[in-house]
Amino acid sequence: MSQIELKNLRKEFGSLVAVNNLNLTIEDGEFIVFVGPSGCGKTTTLRMIAGFEDPTSGDITIDGKVVNELEPRDRDLGMVFQSHALFPHKNVADNIAFGLRMKKVKQDEQARKVKEVSELVRITHLLGKMPGQCSGGESQRIALARTLVTEPSNFLLDEPLSSLDAKLRRELRAECDRLHDELQKTFIYVTHDQEEAMTLADRIVVMNQGKIVQMGSPLEIYGDPVSYFVADFFGNPAMNLVEGEFVSGDSGLQFKSPQFTIPLPSKYSQKQPGKGTLGIRPENVTIGATDAAASINREVELVEPLGKDTLLYFETGAERPFVAVIEGTQSVERHANVDVGFPDDAIFLFDETGARIR
Amino acid sequence: MAMTKSQRQLNFSIFRYLVLTFWLFIVAFPIFWMVGTSFKPDIEWFAWPPVYITENGTLQNYLVVWADASEYSESVHTQSLQRPWEALGNSTLISLISTTLAVLFGSVLAYGVSRYQILSEGRMFQLLMLRMVPPIVLIAPISIWYRALDLLDSVPGLVMLYFITTLPYAVWMSKSFIDEVPREMEQAAEILGASKWQTIWEVVLPLVRSGLVATFLFILILTWSEYLMALLLSKTNVVTLPIELSKYQGSTEGRVYGRQAALSVGITLPLILVGIIIRKHLVRGFSFGMVRR
Repeated sequence: MSQIELKNLRKEFGSLVAVNNLNLTIEDGEFIVFVGPSGCGKTTTLRMIAGFEDPTSGDITIDGKVVNELEPRDRDLGMVFQSHALFPHKNVADNIAFGLRMKKVKQDEQARKVKEVSELVRITHLLGKMPGQCSGGESQRIALARTLVTEPSNFLLDEPLSSLDAKLRRELRAECDRLHDELQKTFIYVTHDQEEAMTLADRIVVMNQGKIVQMGSPLEIYGDPVSYFVADFFGNPAMNLVEGEFVSGDSGLQFKSPQFTIPLPSKYSQKQPGKGTLGIRPENVTIGATDAAASINREVELVEPLGKDTLLYFETGAERPFVAVIEGTQSVERHANVDVGFPDDAIFLFDETGARIR
Repeated sequence: MAMTKSQRQLNFSIFRYLVLTFWLFIVAFPIFWMVGTSFKPDIEWFAWPPVYITENGTLQNYLVVWADASEYSESVHTQSLQRPWEALGNSTLISLISTTLAVLFGSVLAYGVSRYQILSEGRMFQLLMLRMVPPIVLIAPISIWYRALDLLDSVPGLVMLYFITTLPYAVWMSKSFIDEVPREMEQAAEILGASKWQTIWEVVLPLVRSGLVATFLFILILTWSEYLMALLLSKTNVVTLPIELSKYQGSTEGRVYGRQAALSVGITLPLILVGIIIRKHLVRGFSFGMVRR
């Protein structure tokens, strides 16, 4: 059993507040992912849990015990670093055995465990090599093995995959998932990649400017973002966000952007007019014949066939082009005029401060 | 007519070799002349036109200098004060001790600067600026202090002096190597259960070893060949090799170039030997990129 609690955790670097009164309970065996843009405080939080940074104020408890004063090695943690941080002067087997040697495990026991763990992450063929002779993906597996072998109750992973190429990243992502399933240990994972967060997490903690913006399962975060920031951060292609104004029209509230005006669903009819943003995920936009209440007629600027799906780009005066995803089997010509529909239940509204209007 | 790309590349590499060959001649000629002269009989030292490669090679210079087979043994001469083996002993003792101290203290200090910022950037710069002060202006105050402390003309006096004057180099050089070791590597060791000392011993030291060896040789060369401070702070008791070298000239016989050359070869050889012994480390150390990430 191992429960980690962060209580009013705060970290300042000079006048910069990196982490601002963070409160969070991480349950035993949970796969939790801290995600956010660089500088949002996610890595600082992880490093405070590890014991490499001292909190300016607040407590970190593991199993109900405050560990603020404990050295990293006494916290029952394992950590995998972004740079892998393998010891370049020791061969792979010695790298993996390092933690066991430091904990004074017997020689034959060491050898047995190294063998066992290298089978688990499939690197037995690398044991005799030096880290410099291993590829990036192999290095990351070795780094995982080096941490796994000491059998900590909690794993901290600091952007472990960000130095790898896309294909390897997917492969090792699946590996992480498999390991978590097998070990049933707590994984605390930091990434700036929303896709990694979505695929791995039991629970996602979205951070921005040192604060937790939203917490929840991947689907909650994706389907019910609390703010413009979260809505914008998750999803690929990203949510279409059009700035404009909410104005009262004949049949309730309308959304008016410089280029188009659409009526808004009736549940928003009681809301205050004012500046704001309309959001809709590209896969929820309908093209062609639609029964959506709101639709606009637009020229297709660009057609991007991806095989299974096709992306259509429209010009709506926003910073980013407005994107719609349709099935790859449907064919739409470039420069064709089509009806772009906004189904009621797919519309998100955000006020001027970026907060969600429900 | 325009040159083709391969022609241009060929021309450039010819040009490069010419420049480097020219440079090699400039650098290597004094060494060649030193070694050549050490084997020349005295009439060829000043001969004109110069004798480049002697046909009357002799070991006389070496014998006189290192084995005391003086051809002047019967006559009055100035060489009675010359004690090259003692000077070699002194130089070896003084350089090794002061260099070891400088590298030891320097690297510990550098670790503190690199990891715990115990000295600010400004302080580090000031440390280096100490070396910008011309040594000669320091000699007078140091002489006074040394007289009071009874350190003039003594081995500990020179050891201390060289230790202090080379320390800034030791700090700066070893810091550049320690900076190369990623902090995450130390943190990885720590979270795997290593204590601070185990981390330094198992992770940091092996990674900066080549750099420290390079630093050691660099400072050894500085100390080994230092002349000015040794000249002014030692008199008769403690003589180092560069001072010994200056004794091979006198008012009656002028400069005895052959003897000086033979001694010079003796001064140079130990450094070359040390260089050969540690060459494996030098290549990696002086390339400043020994940590593979």
